[in-house]
Amino acid sequence: MSTLDRVRALDDKYHFINTLAHGLDTENRGRLSGYTVSVKDNICVRGMESTAGSKILEGYIPPFDATVIAKCRAEGASILGKTTQDEFGFGTFNINTPYKRPLNPHDPWRSTGGSSGGAACLTAVADFPHLALSESTGGSISCPASWCGVVGVTPTYGRVSRWGLIDYANSLDKIGVMAKTVGEAGLLLEVISGPDRYDSTVLDAPVPCYSDLETVEGLRIGVPEEYFGEGVDPMVEAKVWAAIKGLESDGAEVSDVSLPHTKYSLSSYYIIAMAEASTNLAKFSGLRYGLQEPIESDFNQYFSRVRTKGLGDEAKRRVMLGTFTRMAGYRDAYYLKALKVRTKVIEDFKLAFKGVDVLAAPAMPVVAPRFDEIEQLEPIQHYMMDVLTVAPNLAGIPMVSVPCGEAHGMPVGLHLMADHLEEHKLLKAAWEVEQ
Amino acid sequence: MKATIGLEIHVQLDTLSKLFCSCSTDIDDAEPNSVVCPICLGYPGSKPMVNRRALEHGVVIAQALNSKVMHVIRFSRKNYFYPDMSKNFQITQYEVPLAEGGYLLVGGHRIGITRVHLEEDPAKLVHVGGGITSARETLIDYNRAGVPLVEIVTDPDIGSTEEARDFLKKLSLILEHLGAYDPHKEGSLRVDANVSVEGGNRVEVKNITGFRNVEKALNYEVVRQTSAVNMGMLVVRETRHFDAETGVTSTLRLKEQEEDYGYIAEPDLTQIHIASDWVAALKASMPELPDQRIQRLVGEYGITRFQSDIIVNTGLRMSEFYEESCKLYPDSKNVANWLVTYLLKSLNFEGMSLEESNVRPETFTELLVLIDEETISERLAKELIKDYVKTGKSPRTIVEEKNLALLPVDELRVVVSEVVAENSKAVEDYRSGKAKAAEYLIGQVLRRVRARASAGIVRELVLEALKEN
Repeated sequence: MSTLDRVRALDDKYHFINTLAHGLDTENRGRLSGYTVSVKDNICVRGMESTAGSKILEGYIPPFDATVIAKCRAEGASILGKTTQDEFGFGTFNINTPYKRPLNPHDPWRSTGGSSGGAACLTAVADFPHLALSESTGGSISCPASWCGVVGVTPTYGRVSRWGLIDYANSLDKIGVMAKTVGEAGLLLEVISGPDRYDSTVLDAPVPCYSDLETVEGLRIGVPEEYFGEGVDPMVEAKVWAAIKGLESDGAEVSDVSLPHTKYSLSSYYIIAMAEASTNLAKFSGLRYGLQEPIESDFNQYFSRVRTKGLGDEAKRRVMLGTFTRMAGYRDAYYLKALKVRTKVIEDFKLAFKGVDVLAAPAMPVVAPRFDEIEQLEPIQHYMMDVLTVAPNLAGIPMVSVPCGEAHGMPVGLHLMADHLEEHKLLKAAWEVEQ
Repeated sequence: MKATIGLEIHVQLDTLSKLFCSCSTDIDDAEPNSVVCPICLGYPGSKPMVNRRALEHGVVIAQALNSKVMHVIRFSRKNYFYPDMSKNFQITQYEVPLAEGGYLLVGGHRIGITRVHLEEDPAKLVHVGGGITSARETLIDYNRAGVPLVEIVTDPDIGSTEEARDFLKKLSLILEHLGAYDPHKEGSLRVDANVSVEGGNRVEVKNITGFRNVEKALNYEVVRQTSAVNMGMLVVRETRHFDAETGVTSTLRLKEQEEDYGYIAEPDLTQIHIASDWVAALKASMPELPDQRIQRLVGEYGITRFQSDIIVNTGLRMSEFYEESCKLYPDSKNVANWLVTYLLKSLNFEGMSLEESNVRPETFTELLVLIDEETISERLAKELIKDYVKTGKSPRTIVEEKNLALLPVDELRVVVSEVVAENSKAVEDYRSGKAKAAEYLIGQVLRRVRARASAGIVRELVLEALKEN
C-alpha cells in the first residue's frame, strides 16, 4: 500500500485530514529526506487548499509557501497534506470546525484535544516516517500532544517564522512540531527555526542542535506550586510526579518554585488573544478570496452576509468579545490591563528561571474528555481547560509536552517549560523522560 | 475668512516601494490591481515589513517641522470595515507616533504641529456613474493600497481659510525640498480639516484632495457655518464629505455615529528603536529648506528679497531653474528680472507650470543672449517669450522663423529715407523748430520695421537724415 493510500485508510477511521496531497515528493536529499510532513491547516502551502479550519476560507489556495514549508521542502521533506483543527485555532477539543472532527486514537469517543487535533492524531497513528507541523497560540500543541500521547514542542515566540501562518493572535502564535519521539521533534524544529526577513518578529539568534541530546545530570527542575492541586485530576498529577521523580533519580535537582501571577494569566490571555483575533478575522469579508456571495445591496450588508455564513459560532463569539475589549471606554480596563498582566507573567517566569533551568507540570489538568462530556461544558469551562498552558504561551517561552504514562487508560503529558531560546534544555529533559 | 482650523494632512511619500511590502509605488499608469502582492492585498498568512526609506523620510520631515522624534515607535491597527481596506484595518500609528510637537511659521504666525506619523494608504475607490452616495457601483484598485503616507496633524491654530492655504503651500514646498513627495502626482496631498466658527461646533471635512480644493472646501464650510450661526441655527458636531465636482460639503455622519476604531498594537511589527545618532545624522544632511534658500539666493546672486521670494515660493523646480540659468548666463540679476517679470507672467498666462512647459535653462538664457548681442530688440523679446513658453521652441529658432532679428543699419537707413521722403510735412515742421515732429518720424520707422530696430538707433538715423536734407 502506498503511503497516501495508507493515510487515506487511517483518515477514514480517525478523520485528521482536511486536504491530502496529490502525490509525494520522493527526492532523496536533505535532513528530512524520507519523511512525510503533515501541515496544520492554518499554515499556507502553495497550491494546496488552506482553510485554517474555516468555511470562510473554503477553496482558498495560497499563492505562496509559508517559510516553514519552504524550509522543509529544501531539506527533502514531502508535504503530506493539511490536518484538521479548530476553526482558526479557536478551541481546545477540535470540535469547533465545519470540517472533520478528529477522533482520539486511544478511544474514538474522546477528543484529540485542540486546536492542532489532526496533527496529534496523525502523529500518533502514523506507521510510516512522519513529522507534523502544528501551531500553538494558548496551548494548541501541548493539549492535543498530551491527550494523544505524542511529543509536542512549542518553541520560543520568534524562534520560528510565522510568514504564511494564518493568524489567530499574532503576538501569541507560534508554529511548532509534533513527532513520535523527542529526537524527531528536535530534528524538525532545527529545520524550521531561524531568522526570516518575511517576519519582523523572528529573533536573530543562531539555531543550536536540537536533535543531539544528552543527559540531564545537574539540570535544575522547578515545580510551580500553582500548577498542581485544585482542578487537576489526582491520577494525572500522580503520573506527572512520577516522571519528575524519575528525572530526579537521573541526576536532576528538583525544587519548588512559585509563579504568583498564574491566576491572572487565563483572563489576560483570552483578552489579548480575542482582541487580536477580532482584528485578524476582519479581512475575511468575501471580497478578495475565500467564500463569496452574490453581490446585492451595500458593502456592509454584503460583508455581514458572508461572515454570518462563513464564520462558526466560536469565531463569532471571539469577534464580539475581542471587539468589546478594545472599544473606547473598555480598552483601558481590558485590553491595556491585560497587556500589563502579561508583563507581570513574564516577570514571574524570568524570576523563576534565575533559580531553575526547566519547569515541570501537567500539560492538561485532565485526560482527553469524551465528546458527550464536552457537550455539557459552557464556553468558559472550555477556556478553563487551558489554565496550565496559557501562562507559558503568554510569556512566549518554549514548552514541550512529552508522554509520561496513562491515567484512566488515556495518555498523560508532562509539560516542561524553559526560558526563551532554551529549547535544547527542554528537549534534553524530555528525552530523559522518554527513555 | 475667519475661523478656527486644524488640519490633518496626508502626504504620499516618494519611495520606490510600498510601506510594508516590495511592490512599486509607481502606479500612475499601471493597470488597476496589477501592482499588488499578498502583503498589500492582506492575504491570509502574509506579514508586513517596514520600509526603512519611508521611516527615514518621516524622521526628516518631523525635524523640518521642529517636531520631536520619539526614541521608540510602534505601529497600531485602526479597525473599521471599508472596501478600500485590504485587511479591514489600517496599519497606522496611535499611542506612539513617529514625532510629537513642533511648529511652522506662516507669515510670522506660529502654527503648532501636534504629531507626525506614518501609515499605509488604502486602495482607491472609483465610483461609477455617480458620487460616493449615488454611484451605482464602485470599483476598487488596490494598486494604491500600502503606499506610504505621512500624516501631519496641526493644532487648531489656523485662523482663516487664507492662512490654511498659505500653511499648506509652505508645507508642500518644504516637503518638496526634502525630496519627500511629488506635488505633481494626483492625490499626493490629501487633507481632513477640522473647522469651527465662533458660536458653532467643530465640523470635520474629510478627504479633500489638493490645495485648491482645500481652499474651496474651507470657504464653503466657513460660509455655511457662519450663516447658520448668524441665523441662530445650530452648527452640529459632525463629519462632512467634500464633493470636488460641486464644491459642496454634505453630512457623512453625525457625532453619535462616529466610528470606534478599537486600536490595538500591530502585533506583526516589533517596536522600532530610533537611534538618536541616526536622527542627528539625518538632520545634519537635511537638504536646504525654502526659507534658507530665499536668503541664500539674495546673498549669492544679488537679487532682491522680493524676487527671491517669488522664485523659491513658486516651487523647487523654479529655484533650480533659476540657479541652473545663472550657471549658463553671467548676469544673475538680469536672469531674475526676466524670470520674475516675463517668464512667470507668460507661464501664468498659459496656465502652465514650469514642469509642464518645455522651458529649459539653456533656451531661456539663449533669449537673454539674443538681446545682449542685439539680435533682437528687448521689446520683441518680451513678445517672443510668449511664443517660447507656448511652444518650447528655442528663441533663436523663433527669431528665424518669424523674422524678428534687428535690421542691419544700411537697411534701416533705406527705410528712414523712405519715411522722410514720404512725410515732407513733418520734415518741414521739424525744420521750423517743432522738435516733436522727429518723434513722429521715429514712430513711423519703428512701425514700418515692426520693432526690429532699437529706438536709439532709429532716432540717430532719423536725426541724421533730417540734418542731411
